[in-house]
Amino acid sequence: MLSTFVGLLLTLGSGAAHALPSFARQTGEECVACHVGGIGPQLTPHGQKFKMGGYTDGNAKDQYWVPFSGQGIVTFTHTDKKQPEDAADTFNKNDNLAFQEGSLFLAGRYYGDFGGFVQETYSGVDHLWSWDNVDLRYARTLQLGGKDTILGLSLNNSPTTQDPFNTLPAWNFPYVSSDLTPGFDGEPLLAGGLGQVSAGLTAYGFFDNWLYAEAGAYHDLGKQFLHRLGVAPDDRVDTSGLSPYFRVAATKEFNHQSASVGLVMLDSDIRPDPTLGSKDKYRDFGVDASWQYLGTRRNMFAVNARYIHEKQTLHATFEGGGADSAKQHVNEYNLNGSYYWQNTVGFTLGLFGTSGKRDNTLYAPEDLDGSRTGKPDSRGEIFQIDWTPFGKEDSWMAPWANLRLGLQYMAYDKFNGSMNNYDGAGRDASDNNTLMGFLWFAF
Amino acid sequence: MVRILRRLRTIAATAALICVVPAAIADAEKGADSFDSNCAECHSVSPKLKNKKGPTLFGIVGRKSASIGDYEYSDAMKAAGYAWDTGHLDAYIAAPKKAVPGGKMKFDGVPDDAERRDLIEFLSQQK
Repeated sequence: MLSTFVGLLLTLGSGAAHALPSFARQTGEECVACHVGGIGPQLTPHGQKFKMGGYTDGNAKDQYWVPFSGQGIVTFTHTDKKQPEDAADTFNKNDNLAFQEGSLFLAGRYYGDFGGFVQETYSGVDHLWSWDNVDLRYARTLQLGGKDTILGLSLNNSPTTQDPFNTLPAWNFPYVSSDLTPGFDGEPLLAGGLGQVSAGLTAYGFFDNWLYAEAGAYHDLGKQFLHRLGVAPDDRVDTSGLSPYFRVAATKEFNHQSASVGLVMLDSDIRPDPTLGSKDKYRDFGVDASWQYLGTRRNMFAVNARYIHEKQTLHATFEGGGADSAKQHVNEYNLNGSYYWQNTVGFTLGLFGTSGKRDNTLYAPEDLDGSRTGKPDSRGEIFQIDWTPFGKEDSWMAPWANLRLGLQYMAYDKFNGSMNNYDGAGRDASDNNTLMGFLWFAF
Repeated sequence: MVRILRRLRTIAATAALICVVPAAIADAEKGADSFDSNCAECHSVSPKLKNKKGPTLFGIVGRKSASIGDYEYSDAMKAAGYAWDTGHLDAYIAAPKKAVPGGKMKFDGVPDDAERRDLIEFLSQQK
């Protein structure tokens, strides 16, 4: 039950969002000024400040009144072994070519110090339009104790969407992944569980170019409201009051490098069944760190890391017979390092994993996405090579033409608790190893 | 004694010349790297006279301050009222907020003398 719930929400929150040509048109700057590798979403310190400044910076003469952009992502997905059923309606059990998503954006300065990033996405897998990432901001730069300080407000629809660093779940590697592969259990709520089904208001400050602090809270949204935005009513989450969110990070630029360390916290009570009086409590606590070697900005290294521990007290799920015990936990990590040559050819290696307590009811056996062992443990590696020919100042049709071609291989050492026969139906973790080719364009 | 002192003076002057002259030669290639590291996010040197967050730096050396017509300068920069000769550029790049208090540029500056010299040499070639 829990795995279905989290899996559903992760699907909702899986839309990619990236560097936007409307930002480049507004600032007059090339994509590589703000994004490692010339197409997002991995931000350089310059891009982080643009985001914290409310997406409003820039005075280029060719700015348009409507900061409009679009993008499309086409994928080809091959898993080592075909899935027992079709990967999705109108798709095959394996070797699927998909126009995975098309997005429209209103992103940039709206008026004065008010800006935003609003994404509407068509899923070529679900064949549906729905709202995607939303981050509306008001930000000002003031002097505090003689130091430059950015103060702002963010109204957004997914915890960590508003975060300026490249470590937390909303914007971490892989930036493109296939929607046609099995998903594993054990992701914490912070990793997209409230994405596109909640609204949050946070206040933040960035003091003297080094200290970032943010606090706010999230609340669920009504069924009718979500339905109008393309979210199925059954996907709604009842957060049973406000879910507080806290974030603090220290960052430093030195010798053409940049590094950061941070903490993040989300505290959420969810009522999975309105007929039950009890709630499921999720307490997420994460630490993260990053390092970038920027040099002359032509060849860049970047490393991003995070670890999240989630304490779960699932009274409602336990009462409803969905778990053997109310007390659960999951741990999740993501570590990746990338090198971009001439901001054009990139190599990225990522490690990821989840683990948690054994519970044979919560993580029950089931074809493809169940667990024979009752454990949500998964672990794997991702390697990606990509080519981004445009995005520089002298690029063809800059900043309108943006393209990335990539090849990604995701290998699982463990999937939902074991390496062999993980689902109890004979499927091995390596059967889900995925080779994906992708084409990603933006204008 | 006087002869020895004269000799020592000659040796010292020669040594100073050997030390100083190579350091004083600006290197435009190093300046280009410095420009890419420190300036290129916000400034262009394209002959197309492109403004980014900051105004174009194509032809900056010798240009009157705040003189790019379609760029919105700060009041402080408009009031500066000088030509960008190497002296003014050096002082501004070393500490922009000190050189033009109230200006828009958030950059902290390039503290290294030799790096600034290389950077200005590179900028002087962008015309």
